[in-house]
Amino acid sequence: MEQVRQIEPDLAFIGELMSLGGGDVNKCVQCATCTSVCTLSTNNPGFPRRQMLLAQWGLKEPLLSDPSPWLCFYCGECSKQCLRKANPGETMMALRRYLTSCYDWTGLSRLMYRSAAWELGILGLVASVVVLLFTLPHNFGFGLLSQAGPQALSRVMLNQFAPVEVVHRADTLLALMLGFFLLSNAARMFYRLTRNQQIPASDYVRRLPTMLFQAVTQVRWKGCQAGDAIKNWLRHLLLASGYVLMFTLVVIFLPWFQVSNDSIHWTSFLGYYATGVLLVGAGWMIADRAGKRGEMYRFSHLSDWLFPILLWLTAATGILVHIFRVQNLPMPTYVMYVVHLAIAVPMLVVEVPFGKWAHLVYRPVAIFVDAVGKDAMARSV
Amino acid sequence: MDSAGASDHDGKSILVVGGGIAGITAALEAAEAGARVILIERSPFLGGRTAAFHLYFPKLCPPACGLEINFRRLKNNPRITVLTQAELESLAGTAGNFKATVRLSPRFVSGACTLCGACVEACPAERSDEFNFGLSRTKAIYFPHAMAYPAAYAIDRSLCPEGCTACANVCRYDAIHLTQAPERRVFSVAAVIAATGWAPYNAARLAHLGYGTLPNVVTNVVLERMAAPNGPTRGKIVRPSDGKPPESVAFVQCAGSRDENHLPYCSSVCCSASLKHSAYIHAEHPEVPVSVFYIDIRTPGLLDEFRARVTADSHLTLVKGRVGRIEEDPNTHDLFVTVEDALAGRKSIRKFGLVVLATGMVPQSDGLPSGFERDEYGFVADGAPGFYAAGCAKRPEEVAATVRDATGAALRALPYAVRSGRHE
Repeated sequence: MEQVRQIEPDLAFIGELMSLGGGDVNKCVQCATCTSVCTLSTNNPGFPRRQMLLAQWGLKEPLLSDPSPWLCFYCGECSKQCLRKANPGETMMALRRYLTSCYDWTGLSRLMYRSAAWELGILGLVASVVVLLFTLPHNFGFGLLSQAGPQALSRVMLNQFAPVEVVHRADTLLALMLGFFLLSNAARMFYRLTRNQQIPASDYVRRLPTMLFQAVTQVRWKGCQAGDAIKNWLRHLLLASGYVLMFTLVVIFLPWFQVSNDSIHWTSFLGYYATGVLLVGAGWMIADRAGKRGEMYRFSHLSDWLFPILLWLTAATGILVHIFRVQNLPMPTYVMYVVHLAIAVPMLVVEVPFGKWAHLVYRPVAIFVDAVGKDAMARSV
Repeated sequence: MDSAGASDHDGKSILVVGGGIAGITAALEAAEAGARVILIERSPFLGGRTAAFHLYFPKLCPPACGLEINFRRLKNNPRITVLTQAELESLAGTAGNFKATVRLSPRFVSGACTLCGACVEACPAERSDEFNFGLSRTKAIYFPHAMAYPAAYAIDRSLCPEGCTACANVCRYDAIHLTQAPERRVFSVAAVIAATGWAPYNAARLAHLGYGTLPNVVTNVVLERMAAPNGPTRGKIVRPSDGKPPESVAFVQCAGSRDENHLPYCSSVCCSASLKHSAYIHAEHPEVPVSVFYIDIRTPGLLDEFRARVTADSHLTLVKGRVGRIEEDPNTHDLFVTVEDALAGRKSIRKFGLVVLATGMVPQSDGLPSGFERDEYGFVADGAPGFYAAGCAKRPEEVAATVRDATGAALRALPYAVRSGRHE
C-alpha cells in the first residue's frame, strides 16, 4: 500500500506568491499544456505544470528546493496557450520574486518585494546617505571644494571634489559588501537546492564550467522557441556586456576612468560603449514593458520597473557627468556627479543582493545544480 | 407536399428548423401526437451529422437502423411536410400565430427521376464532398450519400460550367429543370422548434497542433467518415499521407474545447467519441496501440460503463496530459507528439502514425428568429412562448440525449398547435 501523506497547504504562501505576480494558480486544471509547449522544459522533472501544482497546494518547501523557476526565461508560450488563462509563465516570474526574497537571510529583500514603501524608502535612504556624504564632511565633496578655492569653480577639478583614491576605496568596499550579501544568499540557495541530493562533490566540480559559461553567455535563453527569444537574449547579452564593462571600469580601473579635468582618455571610449549599450538596452526594455510588448511584459511588479529605470538613469547621469566635464563646466559636473552616485549606489545596494539583479547569480547556480542532477540521473539509468 | 396553411384545417403547424436527429425526432413526436409539422432543412437531405456516423456510442450500433426507422415514420406520416434546401427567412407574430416565410432553393431535379445515374456520368464538373469532409469528390450533380432522404439528386449550380446542360440533355425522364427558380412560401405556424445542430470546431484554428499542414493529423469527424463503410475509404482507417493503416494512433482530447482561447466549454461527447473510435481501430487492427491524451476523461452516468468496457483493451492507454506540440518526420510523415504525463510527471516525445484531434461542438444558431435566447457561445435556449430549442443547438450532447431533448421540445410546442390551445 502506498504511504499516506497528509498535505498541509500553506495558504499564506499561496496568497503571498499570487500577490507577487499576475498569475492565478487556482485556475490551473493541470492539463499540462504548459510543460509540453515549453521548449526549455526537459523531460523529468518538467516545468511549469509541476510548479503550478505545488503552488496551488501551498507546498512551499519543495518549491524552495526547486531550480526550475530559474530555468525559465519567460518567453510566455505557456501563458499564451494556457487554456484557463492561469498565466503559468507569470507564476514562474512570481516564484523568482518570491525565491529571491527567501534566499536573502537579512529579510530586507522580502520587505522590499512585499512593500513598495519599503523598497522606495530604502532606495531613498541610501540616496540620502550618498548626498549627505558629499555635503556634510569638510574633507570631501562640497566641503573639500570650498577649501580648493575659486579655481575649482572656474575649471573642472573632479579629484578636488571627490578624490579618486577615496572614491575607489569606497566603491571597492561597497563591491565587497554587496558581493558578500549576494554570495551568502546564493550559498543559501545552493544549500536549499542541493541538501536533499546525494551527489558527490566531484560531479559539482565537473559542472563548474557550465555555470560560468551560462553566467557569461546566458545562452540557455536561446532554447526558447518563442518568436522574439533570440532578440531578447541578444539584447540582454548586450546590456550585460555594458554593465559588466562599466562595473570593471568603476571598481577596478577607477583611477584611470575617473578623469579629473576636461581631457579625454582611452577609458572614455570604453565608457561610451557601456553607456550607449545601457541607454539603448534598458530604454528598449522599459519601452517594451510600458507597451506590454510580449508575454514577458504583460504584468509588471514594481521591481521590474525600478531595475531598468535606475540602470537607465545611472547611464544617463554618468554620460552627463562626462559631457559637463569635457565641456569644462565645473559646478554642473560636481552636482551631476552627486546625482549620478545618488542613483547608482542605491540601485546597486538594493538590486544586486536583494532585488532583481541577483538573478545574475541565481540563474547560473540553478542551471548548474540542474545540470549536475541530470548528470546523476543519466548515470543511474 | 402541399402547403400546411392555417385556413384549411383546425390546428396550426409546428415549424421545426433543422432536419438532423433532433429535428426529425421533434417533428415525429409532435406529428404522432396529432399536430401538423413543417420540417425544414438547409441541406438537400435529412439526417444531419448523425447520418455521417459509423456507429453510435455506447451500444456501437450503426445509425442506419435508427435513422431509417425514422425516415419510414416520416414518409408514412401525412401530417409532416418535409422541405429540404429550405431556410427560414423570417418569422413574425406571437406564439400560436406566427407567419413563417421559408425560402426554398431550387432542387432542379423532380420526382420523375428514377436514380438511373446517367446525369452523374454526363456531368463534367466536380465538387468536394462535404459529407466526407473533402476526403472524396462527387460530380456537381450528386446523390448526397447512401442513406440520403429524400433519395434524390442535388445539383451544386455554382460549379456548373457556363451554359452547361449536359445532365438535362442526357436525362430520359425529363426530370432535370436547370431553370427552376427559388421560391418563397409562407406558413401559419403555432410554435417553432430550433434544432439547428452543431458543426465541428474549425480545426484550421488548431494550426499549432499541425492541422492543415501535417497530413496525418486528422479530426474525429474525419475518422468517423473513414470508419463508415459508405465513407471515402470504404470503412478503412488509414493515414491520409500514404493510405496505409497506422502503426499507432493518438487521440488529442480537448482540441479546442475547455480552452478559453477557443471553446471555453466542454463539448461533452468527445471523450466517449474517442473511446468509440479506439474501439473502431481495435476492431479493424487489433494490435495497433492507441493512446488517448486527456485533461479529464468525461464519461458521465451510464457512459462510465462504456468507458470501462473500451478501456479493458490492453492496446488502449489513457494518459493525463494535453498535447502541446505535434511535429512530423517529413520523409515518413510519422508524427511526434510532445506531451507531459501529468500523473507520472514525465514529459516525452512519442511517435505515432496517425493523430486524431478530438474537436468539439460549435452550435449552429445563426439566422434563428430573435425570439430565441442565445448564450455567448451561440447555444440556443427556449425563448419567448412558442420558441423551443432541441439537441446540440442547445447544448453539446450525444444522440440519445438529443432524442430525449427533442421529445421534450415537441411536448412543449404541442399545446400551441392542437385545437384546444394553451389557456394562459
